[in-house]
Amino acid sequence: MPRKVAVVAGGLSYFSKSRRDKTQEELAAEAARMALFDNDINLSKDEIDGTIVSYFSDHFENQLLFGSIIQDYLGFNPKPSVRIEGGGATGGLAVRDAYAHVASGLLDVAMVIGFEKMSEVNTAKGNEFIALASDTDWDFPIGGFYSGYYALMARRHMEEFGTTEEQMAMVAVKNRNNAQHNKFAQTNPKMNPYGMKDGGKITMDDVLKSPYVAFPLKRLDICLMSDGAAVLILASEEKAKKITDTPIWITGTGAGTDAMRAGDRPRTVAGVPMLPHEKKEWYRKLEYPGVHSFRAGRESARQAYNMAGITNPLKQLDLIELHDAYTSSEIQTYEDLGLTKYGQGGKLIEEGITALDGDLPVNPSGGLIGTMHAVGATGVMQGVEMFWQLQGVAGKFHGSDKTQIKNAERGLIHSHAGTGTYVTATIMER
Amino acid sequence: MTEVYSIDPLIINTPYEITYKHSYGKTTKFFTSLSSGKLTATRCDHCKKTFLPPRSDCPYCLAETRWVEISGKGTIHTFSTLYFSGERFLKDLPFQLVYVDLEGVDTLFLTRLKTKDMKKVKVGMKIKMKISREPEWRSSDVWAEPDE
Ligand SMILES: [Zn+2]
Repeated sequence: MPRKVAVVAGGLSYFSKSRRDKTQEELAAEAARMALFDNDINLSKDEIDGTIVSYFSDHFENQLLFGSIIQDYLGFNPKPSVRIEGGGATGGLAVRDAYAHVASGLLDVAMVIGFEKMSEVNTAKGNEFIALASDTDWDFPIGGFYSGYYALMARRHMEEFGTTEEQMAMVAVKNRNNAQHNKFAQTNPKMNPYGMKDGGKITMDDVLKSPYVAFPLKRLDICLMSDGAAVLILASEEKAKKITDTPIWITGTGAGTDAMRAGDRPRTVAGVPMLPHEKKEWYRKLEYPGVHSFRAGRESARQAYNMAGITNPLKQLDLIELHDAYTSSEIQTYEDLGLTKYGQGGKLIEEGITALDGDLPVNPSGGLIGTMHAVGATGVMQGVEMFWQLQGVAGKFHGSDKTQIKNAERGLIHSHAGTGTYVTATIMER
Repeated sequence: MTEVYSIDPLIINTPYEITYKHSYGKTTKFFTSLSSGKLTATRCDHCKKTFLPPRSDCPYCLAETRWVEISGKGTIHTFSTLYFSGERFLKDLPFQLVYVDLEGVDTLFLTRLKTKDMKKVKVGMKIKMKISREPEWRSSDVWAEPDE
C-alpha cells in the first residue's frame, strides 16, 4: 500500500518576461526561501531528504546537468536528486514523481524545485526551442511554431463544435484579470516589481482587436514566456503532522500520453474513454480524439478521479489550476476533464461557471495567460497555488484577498505538454 | 573577443552553432521517391493502417510496414494562417498551415497550403499534394494546393 502524502509548503519567485537581475539558481533560491521560511511550518532545511528538479530545456541556458547546479546551490548534496523533463508537463510530472518518492517510502520529505529562464534568447528563438518539442523530421520543418499547431486544433474545435473566438477571448479576460490580484503575476505591474509595463486589466475588445498570431489565435489568446521558479515540499503522513497543522493531501494522480504528431492520433468513432458521470450515448458519433481533443488529458483525469473517488468533478471540485497555454486549450481541457460534455466547453466559460466567483473557478491565480509560463516551474506553481488555496492563505501570499476561493476543500491541478503529448492531473484535498 | 551586452548585471553574448549528421533511417525512401515524382506512405497489412508521415514499424502491432504509393489527393481537415513563427520561418510569413486528410491514408498530414486566395480556404476543401523540384530533403519538400 502506498503511504499517504501531503503537501506542507510552497514558494514562488516573482515572474517576469526577463529576470536579468538573477541567475536561474538564484531564482530557485528565491522560491525555496519562501517555501521554507514564509509558510507556517515546523521544518528545517536539513530535514529535506531529497529533491526532484523540474526544468524543460537545456537550450535556454546552454547548460546540461543543471539539476546538479541547483542541488549544490541550494545545499542539498550528497542527498538524492533526480531531474524530470516532459515538455510543458514537466512541473506536473515532477509533482507526481515527488508523490511517488514519498508514497513509496524512498523519501520522507521531498522538495520539488521547478524553474525556467527563457529570456536569454530572443522571443522567436525561444519559440523555435519550444517548437523543437514537436517532431523535428516532419512537423517542425513545415513552419514549426506551437501557436500554429494550437491554431489548427482550435480551428477544428470550432468546426466540430461551434466554439467561437468570443468564447476564447472570455478565457483571456478571466485569467488576465485574475492575475491582477496576484503579486507574482507577470502581467501585474501594480503589484509585481518585475511586471510588464503594458500589463494590467484587459477587456473583450482588447483581446478581439489584438493582432492575429495564427488564426484564430490572437496575441492575447496566448500564454506568456517567463523567467521564474516555484518550490513545493511534500511529506509522508507521519512527517506532515509534525510539520504543519494544516497539511494538504494528495489523494489522486493520473498521467496520460498521446502521439507527438497530433495528426497521428486516431479518429475512432465512439472512442471517448468514459468518466464515471458520463453516458456512452453522448459521444456515439464523435471521432476521438482527432486534433480537437486531448486524449492524454482525459486519461490523466480518469485515473486521478478513480484514485480520489471523484464521480462528479463539476460538483466535487472547488477549484482548478489548469494549463491554459492558449485560451482554446483551456476550453478543450474543460471537456477533457469532464466538467462539461465534449463540445460544450465554450458554454462553460460563457455561463461564468469558471469565473473567480463561479461554481468552479478555473485559474484563480491567473494561469499561464495572466501569471507565468516559465515551463519547468509552471506545474509546480499550480501545486503551490492549490496548496495556498486549500490552506486558505492565498490572499496573504498574493497580496490581495480577491483570489482566495472561500472554503475550498478539494482542487485539481493539470499540467500539459506538447500538443497534448504528456498530461498529468493531480487532486489535492484539505 | 567576448561581446558585452550589459554591465550591471553583467550580460555577455555567447553564440552557439552546431551541424548534426541527421539520418532519416528507413524513411529515406519517402524522400528518394519524391525525386521520381511519387508520394509514398507506409502500410501495415496486419492492422490495415496507412501512415503518413511514414512509420517503418507499426505502432499498433510492431510489425514492419511496407511502402505504398498514394494519390496525394485529399481535403483540408483544419487550417490556420500564421503571422508569427519560430525564428527560422520568420522570412516566410504569412503562410498557411493545414492538416490534410489524404486518400488512402489513415493519419492526418501536416503541411503548408500554397494558394493565391487565402479567403477561399475552408474545412473540406479539395487539395492536391505538390512536390518540389528543388529538394531540401525536408518534409517541406511537399505541400498542398487547391485541387480545382
Ligand atoms: Zn500493425
